[in-house]
Amino acid sequence: MAATFFGEVVKAPCRAGTEEEEEEEEQDRRDTPEDREVRRQLARKREVRLLQRQTKTSLEVALLEKQSCSKFIIAVGSNASAFLSSFVMTSGVWKEVGCAKLWNEWCRTTDTVHLSPTDAFCVFYQLKSDPSVFLCQCSCYIAEDQQFQWLEKVFGSRPRRNMQVTVLTCRHVTEYKTSESTCSLPSPFLRALKTQKFKDPVCCPLLEQPNIVHDLPAAVLSYCQVWKIPAVLYLCYTDVMKLDLVTVEAFKPVLSSSSLECLVKNVPESTEILKKLMTTNEIQSNIYT
Amino acid sequence: MASRYDRAITVFSPDGHLFQVEYAQEAVKKGSTAVGIRGTNIVVLGVEKKSVAKLQDERTVRKICALDDHVCMAFAGLTADARVVINRARVECQSHKLTVEDPVTVEYITRFIATLKQKYTQSNGRRPFGISALIVGFDDDGIPRLYQTDPSGTYHAWKANAIGRSAKTVREFLEKNYTEDAISNDNEAIKLAIKALLEVVQSGGKNIELAIIRRDQPLKMFSAKEIELQVTEIEKEKEEVEKKKSKKST
Repeated sequence: MAATFFGEVVKAPCRAGTEEEEEEEEQDRRDTPEDREVRRQLARKREVRLLQRQTKTSLEVALLEKQSCSKFIIAVGSNASAFLSSFVMTSGVWKEVGCAKLWNEWCRTTDTVHLSPTDAFCVFYQLKSDPSVFLCQCSCYIAEDQQFQWLEKVFGSRPRRNMQVTVLTCRHVTEYKTSESTCSLPSPFLRALKTQKFKDPVCCPLLEQPNIVHDLPAAVLSYCQVWKIPAVLYLCYTDVMKLDLVTVEAFKPVLSSSSLECLVKNVPESTEILKKLMTTNEIQSNIYT
Repeated sequence: MASRYDRAITVFSPDGHLFQVEYAQEAVKKGSTAVGIRGTNIVVLGVEKKSVAKLQDERTVRKICALDDHVCMAFAGLTADARVVINRARVECQSHKLTVEDPVTVEYITRFIATLKQKYTQSNGRRPFGISALIVGFDDDGIPRLYQTDPSGTYHAWKANAIGRSAKTVREFLEKNYTEDAISNDNEAIKLAIKALLEVVQSGGKNIELAIIRRDQPLKMFSAKEIELQVTEIEKEKEEVEKKKSKKST
């Protein structure tokens, strides 16, 4: 026990452990009904929901559980999403099959009920000509406590092993640990990380130690490693994290990989579409010139 | 390790880094690309114009600024820092002219700007300027000059250089294509600057601004039409080269 400046006596935290007599009192003090209610509400607010955007009905079964999936391509971030939009989605007809709605402290919108089309955080598409090919464009930050929920709702509790997962994402080049100075790095550049079951050749060098992968891409790779699903992550280190032509084009070597080569048809036309995508996102802040 | 030594500008890390200066160099990369080329009889500055909001007056968003009649500079990085540096440089140019009755040399004003930047890397309570600058001009001896400064306060003379976003890509292009032939002709030097920018500029000629200084002539800013003409010529030349290649292969 200790006295504070104001003379009140408070229990000082003790590393030796609590005394048994006081334990029962403490347990009652710990969990009031209000605390439990607040925790319940917070959990409900942070719940990851997968639903059909048009009908706003929740998907009862995990996305990849009800249909067989041979290829699943996930783009995390604006540059990776733009790459898929221009090079992959323009080469076929894709149908939107669901979106993931979630809220966390990083979200700009506080309204989790009425999500506008531009807010949809993760959108899932299915290729009409080959319904076993799925694609996801994720433009939000998924917090650590939500990542497992997202994985379960997308992959299901017992994912099939006969699919191949490809993840594309970007990271700032200053987070790349190397003995060289960042000024001499050829950014943007690609690095790959794969699960044990992924046997195809990768189209760039593997990620060197001690670099690690973070956030949703790390969660997806870990999940695939545990469930023995072949998966590969292509990570682009760039010095421009917002939508940028040079960064998006740095993903081009991935077009020759086994996951994407049959999905891409017209590269020059896709490059033109990419340039148009850039112009619609052009207005920049006045802080930097 | 970095986090313990990167908050104060006046503190070295154990391995000799001044992290605030290095972080200032990252701020430079947030600015759009600027390229400078020193020709035989011309100096060229080309920049990627950032798109302005609908209600914003485009004339107030300038990346190429004249420091004196014979010197101009382009910058990349924090807009407000650039304004302060440019104002100080302009005052120094006039002060020099009034004191010694001669216009500044390009090297003098570059050294002045670099010294100013270096002071801010050694003062307590201040942060470095978050800009790199390309300074071009002709001295009285008629020799063209191109200098580059960075937030650390260093300055070097260059034949051609780029700063800002994707500067590395542009510099690599210049290293491959900067030849004595390419810069002997004024028009070719201008085309080289535009080609270098087109490597990284998102939407072609309409987002490029260009300025040149020829020997004994004042600074000339290219109009959008003139730039468009140059871009069209460059595209025609590209097509012709590609046609020749395809003919050879068949």
